[in-house]
Amino acid sequence: MKRTVLVLLMLLPLFTISAGGSRESDVSVITIWHSNSGRVGQAFDTLVDTFNDGIGKENGIRIEAIYQGAANDVLTKVKAAAQEDRSTLPDIAQMDATAALDMKSADYLITADETGADTSCIMPSALKALDSDRGLLAMPFNCSSLLFYYNKTLFDEKGLEAPRTLDEFASIAPELGEKDSSGNVVRYAFSGVPTTYELGTFIGAQNGLSYMIDAENGHFGVPEKVLFGEEGTFRNFLEHWKALYDTGYVSNITSGVRDEFAAGRTASMLASSSNLSTVIATVAGRFEVGTAFVPMVDEEATGGVNIGGGALFSFSSEPGVKTVLEFFTSPESQLYWAEATGYMAINTELYETDEYKQFLSENPQFEVAMEQTLSSNPEVVGIWLPSAYQIYYSFQSEIRAVTESGKSIDDAVSAMESIVQGAIDEYRNQNGL
Amino acid sequence: MIKKKAEPYLLILPALVLALAFYIVPFLRSVIFSFLRITQGGELIGIAGLDNYRSLFADRAFLSSIWHTLLFVLLFIPVNTFLTLSAAALTRRKRKHGAIFEFIFFSPLAVSLSAYAAIFSEMFRGRVSIINRIFSLDMLWLESPESAMVALVALSVFLDFGLDYILLLSAFRTVDRSMIEAAEIDGCGSLSTLFHIELPAIRNMLLVTIFLALKDAVLISAPVMLLTEGGPYRSTETIMYYYYLEAFRSSNLQKGRAISSLMVVLSALIVTLMGRRRNDE
Repeated sequence: MKRTVLVLLMLLPLFTISAGGSRESDVSVITIWHSNSGRVGQAFDTLVDTFNDGIGKENGIRIEAIYQGAANDVLTKVKAAAQEDRSTLPDIAQMDATAALDMKSADYLITADETGADTSCIMPSALKALDSDRGLLAMPFNCSSLLFYYNKTLFDEKGLEAPRTLDEFASIAPELGEKDSSGNVVRYAFSGVPTTYELGTFIGAQNGLSYMIDAENGHFGVPEKVLFGEEGTFRNFLEHWKALYDTGYVSNITSGVRDEFAAGRTASMLASSSNLSTVIATVAGRFEVGTAFVPMVDEEATGGVNIGGGALFSFSSEPGVKTVLEFFTSPESQLYWAEATGYMAINTELYETDEYKQFLSENPQFEVAMEQTLSSNPEVVGIWLPSAYQIYYSFQSEIRAVTESGKSIDDAVSAMESIVQGAIDEYRNQNGL
Repeated sequence: MIKKKAEPYLLILPALVLALAFYIVPFLRSVIFSFLRITQGGELIGIAGLDNYRSLFADRAFLSSIWHTLLFVLLFIPVNTFLTLSAAALTRRKRKHGAIFEFIFFSPLAVSLSAYAAIFSEMFRGRVSIINRIFSLDMLWLESPESAMVALVALSVFLDFGLDYILLLSAFRTVDRSMIEAAEIDGCGSLSTLFHIELPAIRNMLLVTIFLALKDAVLISAPVMLLTEGGPYRSTETIMYYYYLEAFRSSNLQKGRAISSLMVVLSALIVTLMGRRRNDE
C-alpha cells in the first residue's frame, strides 16, 4: 500500500507536466520572450493582460510572456534554441540592435515584412533603424535615442544654456565644474566615456550623415570595411572630445554615472531617453532635470541621433503574430507604453491626438527627446557589428588612453580601425565569405 | 561466473553513460570542431587547422584574460585559505554560544550567487557606496582596474567561504580528541596544539579546500559577469568570461571551442596534480 502511494506521488509531477503541455484547442498561444523588468516589466504585463482580455479573446489568441533576462540574454537564448531545437523558439522575441546582425543572417527569422503586419503608421526613423537587405527585420516597439541630461537648476544658476556643440561645452565646462580648496574636483561638467552607442551619434551625425562601417553601417549586406578611420570622423570626434576633457572637468567613469548625476557630482551626462523616468525618480527633486539635444561634434555634424532600443523579432508564421505585433504598435498601446516607461511613442497617428499632446506638455523633458528624433536625419542608423561587446569596451579604452595617458589620436584611430576591421574579417571568414 | 565478472561494469554503467553523454563526447566534439571552420549557423565550411588557436593567441584581449585569471588566482587562493582556515580554527572547539558564530560563518552558503553579486555591486557602486561609508573612503571601486579586482576577490571569497568553512570545521572536529588531550596534559598551549597537532591532522581536508578554490578561481566567470562585466576597460576579464563573450555573445563558435578545449586540458592537468598529491600521501 505504502509503496503504491509512493509510486503515485512520484508520478504526480509527470501528470502535471503533461497536463501543462496540452493547450486549449481553439486558442492559439503566442509566446513572447522579453527583457522588461521592474517598472517597465509591469507596464509590459499590463499590455499583455489588455491584449488577452480584449483583442486576444475576440480572436482566440493568447499571449504568454516570458521574462528571459536582459536583451542580450534573450538573444543568447534565441540562438541556443535555434541551434538545438527550433521547435523551442518563441513566436516573438524582444531584442535590441545587437541582435540585428545575427538575426539578419538567421534563416529562422520571419521578418516583420513577411508577417504582413501594418507599418504604415510607424515613425519613419524607427523603421529605418531596422531596415536591411532583408527588408524590415523586426517590428519597432520600445524605441529610444541618446539624450543629453543636465542639472537644470545648476545651469540656471550660472545663467547657462545646454551646449549646442562640444566646443561650446568645453567653453562652459569650467563654469559648471567645481573644485574644493585642495584642488580636487567635487563636481564635474560631464561624466562618462563614450562608446559604440554614443559614437553612433557623434560619428553618425557628422557631415549630415556618416557611416562607421560600409554596407550602410552593416544594414545592407555583410560589412567589409571600416569607414570611420579614412573618413576622419573618429579623429574629428576625438579632437573635440579631448579638448573638452582637457578642461579638467570630465570624469572618465564607465558605471554608476546616473548615481553621480543624481548626487549632483556631475552637471551632465549622456544616456538613453528611455532612462528618463528612472533618472527623474533617482534625482527625486534634489534639482530640476533638464534634457537637451546631444551636443554636436562640430557645426557640420547635423545628422542628429539614431533610434535605438528594442524591437519584436518573430520566428513563426502563425497568423496570430501579425495581430500581436499590430497590437503592440497601436496608438493606444504606444501611448500607454510611453507614459508608463519613457520610451518613445512611435505610432504617428498619435501625434495629433489631444491625449498625446497633453502628455507631452506635462512631460517637457520627454518632448525634447521626441523633437530631437523628429528633427534628425532618419538615415542616421545604429551600427550592426560582429563582436559588438568587445568593440564597445575597446572604444572606451582608446578614448581613455587618448584623454588620460596621452596616447596620440592617430594611434587611437588606427588601433580602433584594426580592432573593428579584425572583427569584420573574422566574421566574414567564419561565415565563408 | 560471467555474472560475477559483469557486475562491476554494470554498476559503473550509469555513471559511465552520464559521463559519456555529458562530458566525454561533447569534449571530443569540441576538440575536433576547434580545428574546423564552422559558421554561426553551425554549418561546416572547411578545415581551419591551427587557425582558430592562432587567432586566439593573436588577440591581446585573450592574453590579458590569462593574466587577469592568474592575478585572480594569486590573490584569491591565499586570502580565501587564510580567512576560512582562521574562522574554522577560531570556532573549532564546541563552546556555549559557539553555534551563533558557526551560523554566521556558514550562512553565506544559504544565499545564491546572483543575490550576493547584486548586494556587492550595491556595496561597491559609486562614490556614495556602502563600503566607502563604512571605511570613510572616497573612491570609485569599480572604476579602477586594481580596486575592481579587489572587489571581485572579496565577492568570490564570500561565495566560497561557507562551504570551505564547513569542510574545515568538520575536519577539525574529527581530529582524535585523545591526542589533543594528551598534548594539553603535557602543557601544550592552544596555539601550539593548533599548529603542531590539529593542522597536520586536517592537512588533507585543507588541500581539498585549496584545490576546490583553485578550480573555482581558474574557471571564474559568473561573479565577473554579475559584478564587473569584465570592466573597467576589460581589466577584469578572465579566461572563462572571455570564452563566454566569444562563444555566446559573439557566436564565435570556432574560437569558443578552441578556448574550451584548452581549458579542459588545463583543468585535467590540475586534477592530475591533485590526484598525484593524494597518492603521495
